[in-house]
Amino acid sequence: MQSETPLPDTLANLLGLDPSNPLVLFVMAIVASGVIASGLLALVAVSGIWGKRKITAAFTDRVAVNRHGPAGILIIPADALRLLSKELIIPEGVDRPAWDLGPLIMVFSALAGFAVIPMGNGVQIADPETGLAYVFAMASVASIGLVMAGYSSNNKYSFLGGLRAVAQNLAYEIPLILTGMSVVLFAGTLRMSGIVTAQSATLFSLGPVAIPSWYAFVNPFAFVLFMVANLAEVGRNPFDIPEAPTEIVAGWQTEYSSVYFVLAYLSEFIHIFLGGAIIATIFLGGPAGPVLPGIVWFLIKIVGVYLFTQWARSAIPRVRIDQLIEIGWKGMLVLSFVNLLLTAVIVGVIA
Amino acid sequence: MSLEEPEPSTQLDVGVSEDGLNYDQLEALLGDSVIGRESHVNAEGFVIRPDDVQDVLSTLKTEAGFDFCSCVTAQEYQDRYESIYHLKKYDDPTQEVSVVVPSPRDDPHNQTAQPVYETAAWHEREAYDLVGIDYDEHPDLRRILLPETWQGHPLSMDYNQDKPQIVPLREHANPLQDDMQSPDDPDTMFVNIGPHHPATHGVLHVKTTLDGEQIADIEPDIGYLHRCEEQMCQQGTYRHQIMPYPDRWDYVSAGILNEWAYARAAEDLADIDVPEYAQIIRTMSAELCRIASHALAMGTFALDVFGDFTATFQYAFRDREVVQNILEDLTGQRLMFNYLRLGGVAWDLPEPREEFFAKIRDFLDELPGKLEEYHDLVTGNEIFQMRCVDTGVLPAEDVKDFGATGPVARGSGVDYDLRRDDPYGYYDELDWDVVTEDGCDNFSRVLVRLREIEESAKIIEQCVDLLEEWPEDDREIQANVPRTLRPDPDTEIYRAVEGAKGELGIYIRSDGTDKPARFKIRSPCFSNLHTLATMSEGEYIPDMIASLGSLDIVLGEVDR
Repeated sequence: MQSETPLPDTLANLLGLDPSNPLVLFVMAIVASGVIASGLLALVAVSGIWGKRKITAAFTDRVAVNRHGPAGILIIPADALRLLSKELIIPEGVDRPAWDLGPLIMVFSALAGFAVIPMGNGVQIADPETGLAYVFAMASVASIGLVMAGYSSNNKYSFLGGLRAVAQNLAYEIPLILTGMSVVLFAGTLRMSGIVTAQSATLFSLGPVAIPSWYAFVNPFAFVLFMVANLAEVGRNPFDIPEAPTEIVAGWQTEYSSVYFVLAYLSEFIHIFLGGAIIATIFLGGPAGPVLPGIVWFLIKIVGVYLFTQWARSAIPRVRIDQLIEIGWKGMLVLSFVNLLLTAVIVGVIA
Repeated sequence: MSLEEPEPSTQLDVGVSEDGLNYDQLEALLGDSVIGRESHVNAEGFVIRPDDVQDVLSTLKTEAGFDFCSCVTAQEYQDRYESIYHLKKYDDPTQEVSVVVPSPRDDPHNQTAQPVYETAAWHEREAYDLVGIDYDEHPDLRRILLPETWQGHPLSMDYNQDKPQIVPLREHANPLQDDMQSPDDPDTMFVNIGPHHPATHGVLHVKTTLDGEQIADIEPDIGYLHRCEEQMCQQGTYRHQIMPYPDRWDYVSAGILNEWAYARAAEDLADIDVPEYAQIIRTMSAELCRIASHALAMGTFALDVFGDFTATFQYAFRDREVVQNILEDLTGQRLMFNYLRLGGVAWDLPEPREEFFAKIRDFLDELPGKLEEYHDLVTGNEIFQMRCVDTGVLPAEDVKDFGATGPVARGSGVDYDLRRDDPYGYYDELDWDVVTEDGCDNFSRVLVRLREIEESAKIIEQCVDLLEEWPEDDREIQANVPRTLRPDPDTEIYRAVEGAKGELGIYIRSDGTDKPARFKIRSPCFSNLHTLATMSEGEYIPDMIASLGSLDIVLGEVDR
């Protein structure tokens, strides 16, 4: 199921070019990235502009968009046009290059994270040995964008939001990565395709149904820990503290309008999907699944994680910033160390 | 049991007797301070010298048990200014006394009551702002409703309404501009929360000084929604022209409760008896309003704690909508009901009556399940409890000092509800309870509201039972009231009802014409909002927002 050759090589072969030529590979990598990024943006457009409204409406007993096209689906082009045609208001006294770069960094760091994700059917741009470390690093770069946006906006609410974002990311990044490390201990590799392959073995059989050794089944504790830490990482309830609309207006994104707002908004969704992609890859067997092609399974898994974040968003109260720091440093960090230690002991004993 | 007489306190009962207060004993207690007596419809008034205010009030508070300064009314006469302190007891609000402080026309000033009752601080600022009386030794005598730059006092007699409000440019600078950090404490940051902010529940401006995420200093700035309601009421005739205004004070859904405040004051002033049948309809519709208002309070509080457009908020609105529909059937309006009339109600229940009753009963049948859902979703949630228990603490002493009432007082264990303690309408014939919680925190205030919805449902159910069986030829909805109402000159009354937010009081002075000479609104939200500073200093921003939400203020009522 898992293609050995990365997507750029496949493309080069398809076009009859020599993949060992670095120039060819470079061009093909750009083409492949463009394809994947466009696919992701389309997914965000559907789920962010239309799906989110429908889902939230279902949770909160409303109808949501239903005027344009079947089930209101045409709201996507309408909204895109609306958002892009709005005036970009640049407030007085913003710190220009930083203020402009903030949203860009957020979007592109999240998109770059997808480069090493094996999405099934050979859709993977690169498969370096340090894949998991790379993806965590990329996911964290967004924090820099948040700080830039918060600090450069010349707005006290943005400033508070930016500071909250840093505090929150520090508190949750470490448990997140430590929990990810426990998976690495199991799989014995940081390479994303390696982690996926390691999960394809059968854990046990229920009659004719073979339960694969996905790490969510092998170590459910780590899975739950990771899901919670991921909610904080993407900033969704109960951890949407950097934005906290009722407290600090919109946090770091208060001063952004028009296209910059779109970028900020986009980055949130791409981050949620990146979080979903990491969870799918290291806990849910990546693109593995019966009958349907791998990429479909992969999408189902990311959308599943996305639905979970929307559910949390609709039903769970937001914790306070000091409570969040406490949960992060006193609760999650300790638990993730315990998890790492136990995994190490178990893996050591079995080996 | 709701109808039990509250126990009179043992020590502070000067003048308390079987048949009401003995004002002569109170006068004896005050001795030489009293320079005259006035008779108001609700209570006797002691006239005192302007420099005796604190002595008299603290004597009344510490020795006669008047621990509640309900309202301060200021007004101007041809020959003098006058401030009236309407005092009550939290234990028994039917024991009232007015302290009347006249001050000379040419230089109106008297002693402040702020050291005795903290709540007087805001009331006196309002009196200074609108009427123009100076209160000596007041710690912070500034305008409260009008802008700092306003010239003249709109409710004083020589105020020229046509005079343009010319403000020099330097004073006309952006009032929000001045937000530099304090030079004495460079570690703090000043933030304007509001007047445009998602969580201030209207146009409230909270001047906040932050120390990190914690609140070092906070000052609510109100008046953005001031619409001269008192003056408009003074320009309307008693019979018909005033009744539409109360709907616009607490405009979210408590219209009939507000109308009742005016109806009760005016009916007592003009000595009108309301037919029993109309009283039952009033009681029923008022409690429907209370449910709608509490549902909204709960929903918006969830908004503050959960985030925008979460399930709880939408569920609360969904359920409030059902009540709104019933009220629309009854009154023809969704929010601005204008349904009560002096001496009764505008019209009888809608036909077919069975259908209307069935609709109410359906709602009441579904209510327990819905409340269960709220308890699952909101009060039972651990994170919610983490956020709300022991935050925004308001001890019972502070409640009394700040004159807080309604669910805010009852959430701090102050057992005070005018529906039971100063019965009006049909409440004393029905079986229901006053809800109190002892937590004094945000959580208790939410619980009180949720439990009060149950009590209101009980009241409505009993009213529907009564209305269903009411003989058809005895459905009298309106007493005989003269077409033009002219109460006797110089009659004064201060009467309050239990509004959705607390004690909603009206002071009316008549001058023999068909319009009131002075119309003063005692807004529960105004006094409740005054407590925000004590509740939130030292707390985190999110807790301040939650406390603000738990006070359930409506700016239309705060600013009037």
